Amino acid sequence: MSPLDLVLVPALAALAVLLGVGRERAALVLVGASFTTTALAVVEVTSVSPPGAAWLGLVRVDATSRLFLLLVNPIFFGISTYIWHRVRTTPALREWIGRLTWLALIFLASTNALLMANHLLALWVLLELTALTVTPLIVRPRSEASRRAAFRYLVFSTVGLGLVALGFACSSRGMEAAGLTPTFAVDRLLELGPLPMNAWSKLGLALVLLGLGTKLGLAPMYSWLPETYDEAPPAVAALLGAVQFNAALVVLFRIVQIYRVSSPALLTGQLLAMGLVSMVVSTVSIIATRNIKRLIAYASINHAGVIAIGLAVGGSATYGLLLYVLSNAFIKAILFLTAGKIMAHYKTNDTRVISGLLQELPYSGVFLMVGTIALLGFPPFGSFLGELLILSALVGSGRMLTFAAFCTLITMTFVATGRTVFPMIWGPSKEKHDWPRQTLPSALPKLTFLVALVVLGIYIPPALNQLLEQVAQSLGGR
Amino acid sequence: MSPLLMGLLGVMVVPLFVATWRSSLFGLSCQGLLMAWAAYRLNPDLHVVGTWLNLADLLVVRGLGAPLLLYRLMRARRHAARHDVIAPNLLSWTVALGLVLAAFNLASVLVPVDGDQRALTAVAAAAVLLAFLVLASQSTPFGQVVGALRLENGIALFELGGEHEHQSLVTQVGQLVIVVATIGLYVWLLRGFSEAGSAPAELAPDEPDL
Repeated sequence: MSPLDLVLVPALAALAVLLGVGRERAALVLVGASFTTTALAVVEVTSVSPPGAAWLGLVRVDATSRLFLLLVNPIFFGISTYIWHRVRTTPALREWIGRLTWLALIFLASTNALLMANHLLALWVLLELTALTVTPLIVRPRSEASRRAAFRYLVFSTVGLGLVALGFACSSRGMEAAGLTPTFAVDRLLELGPLPMNAWSKLGLALVLLGLGTKLGLAPMYSWLPETYDEAPPAVAALLGAVQFNAALVVLFRIVQIYRVSSPALLTGQLLAMGLVSMVVSTVSIIATRNIKRLIAYASINHAGVIAIGLAVGGSATYGLLLYVLSNAFIKAILFLTAGKIMAHYKTNDTRVISGLLQELPYSGVFLMVGTIALLGFPPFGSFLGELLILSALVGSGRMLTFAAFCTLITMTFVATGRTVFPMIWGPSKEKHDWPRQTLPSALPKLTFLVALVVLGIYIPPALNQLLEQVAQSLGGR
Repeated sequence: MSPLLMGLLGVMVVPLFVATWRSSLFGLSCQGLLMAWAAYRLNPDLHVVGTWLNLADLLVVRGLGAPLLLYRLMRARRHAARHDVIAPNLLSWTVALGLVLAAFNLASVLVPVDGDQRALTAVAAAAVLLAFLVLASQSTPFGQVVGALRLENGIALFELGGEHEHQSLVTQVGQLVIVVATIGLYVWLLRGFSEAGSAPAELAPDEPDL
C-alpha cells in the first residue's frame, strides 16, 4: 500500500460523483470512501516504514503525519455517517448531497495530502485547497446570512494564508541573505539545524505565525470563526472545527519543528501573546453569548489559545498539548453534531429556549453533558490530563503570571459555560414535544467519538503513547 | 527606482484617490500586466515551463481574468459609478501615504544595499500595507474582494524578488490553481448576494440542515 492511496481514494470518489457516477447514492459513496481512507490510515500508522521523502521529495510520512492521519480520518468517517443518516431521514437534504459529497471528498483528499506533505509551499497550497472546498459547503440554499459568513471566511482565509505565503517568501529571502541555498523542503530544513535568524527570517516567522493563527482562530484575527461556525450546517462546522483545524495545526507544528531551535524567543513570545489574548476574548464572548453554536465556536477559540500556550511553553507541556489536541477534535465533533440534532428538533439555537434535553432527547442530552464536561477539562477525559500537564509546565518554567491568568480564565469559562449549558441538559422541559424516539444508528458516530474520548483519558494504548512521544519530541518536548 | 516600479507604485496608489469601481479594477488589471512585465524582465528565459506558468498567472489571471469577471458582474448589477476604496477624507489619505513611506523604510532595513532589489521590496511592501488599509476600510463585499486581490498581488510582487529555483513545478501549478479557484469562488459568492453593495443579511429560512 502506498500512502498516496489516502489521497487517491477520496479524490477518485469525488471525481466519480462530480461526473455523475453514483450521484443518486452520493451519501453512501461519501461513507464508503471515508471508511476506506480510515482503514488505509490505520494500516499506514501500524506499518513501520522509515520516514523517507518520496514522490519528487514532496511526500514524507513521519510521526506527526501518522498521528494526525489516525485522528482526522476516523472523525471524517464519523461525520460522513452522520450526514448519511441525516440525508436518509430528511429527504429535503437530498438536493445538495451531490455537491456536498464531491467537495467534502476533495477536502479529505487535500487534508490527507497536507498531513504527508514535505514542502512548505505544498502545505500552503493544500491548506488553501481545504479552505476553497469547504467555503461552498458553508453556504446553505436560500440563506443570505450563510453566504455572507462563507464570504467572510474566504476573505480571512485569503488574508491569513496570504500572510503565510508572504512569511515563506521572507524566510526564503532570509536564507539567501545568509548565503544559504533557499529550500522549502521540510526534511532539508530540519537537517540544516539552527537556521540563521536575520531581519528577513524574523519577519517571515512572525508573519507565518500570524497567518496560521488566523486559520486557527487565534487573536487578533479570529472574528471570522464564530460567524462561520454559527452559519455553517452543523456537519460542516464539525469538519471545520475537528478536521480543518487540525490540518492548520499540523502546518504550525511543521513551523515549530523547523524554528524551535533557531528562534525560541520569537516563537514563544508570539504564541504566548496570541494564546493568552485568544483566551481572554473567548472567555468574555462565552459569558455574553446565548447561542449554542456560537458558544462552541468561542470554546474553539479558547482551545486554540490553550494549544498556542502549550506550544509556546514546550518541554513537558508538549505531551499534554497533544493529548489536548486529540481530545478536542473529538469534543468538537461531538458537540457540533449534537448541536445540529438539537437545533433540528427545537428549530432554534437560543440556549434560553432549549431545556430538559435529558428527558426530551436523551442521547443528545447525554452527548451534550459529556461533551461539555470534557470541554471544561474534567477527569477522566484527555483534556483534563492535557491541561494539567500544560499548567504544570507553566509552573515548572517559572511563568507564574501566565499560570495565574490561565487558571483565572479557565475558571471563568467553566462558570459561564455551565451557567448556559447545564439548564439545557437538566432544566425542566418548557413545553411538551412529541418527537420520535432517537435511534441508535443516529447516535453511533457520536458514541464512537465519546468512547475514543474516554479511552484517551483513562488508557492510552502503548502504540499511541509511543506515537505521541515521538511527535512531542519533534516539537521540542520531553 | 526604475520606471516600471514607479508605474507599479502609481497603479497601486492612484485608485485609492479616484473613487470609482472602474478605476479600482483598472488599477488591478494594470498591476497584473506590469508585474508580468517585471517578471519577464527578471527572468526572460521562455524555454522554462515555470516562466510560462508565472506569466500566465500574472498576465492572464490577475491582469485580465479577475478584473474582467468583476467588471462584468458590477456592470450587470448597474452599480453606481462611485466606490470609495478607502474613506474619502484627509486622515485616510495621510495614512495611505504614511504606509508607502513606512514600506520604503522597512525596505531599507531589510535590504541594506540601495538598488533595484530594495526598490522592488519597497513597492511590494507598499502593496501589502495598502491592501490591508483597503481591507480595513471596506465593509462591502466588492471592496473586500478588491482588497484581497491587492494583497495577493503584493505577495506575488514580493515573490518576484527571490530565487525561484527551489520551487518545484508541482507547487507552481498548485499555486496557479489556487489563485484561479479563489477568484472563481469570490465571483460565485458575489453573484449570489442580493446586491453586490450592502444589502442587509437576511435570517436563514426555516429549512432542514445537515
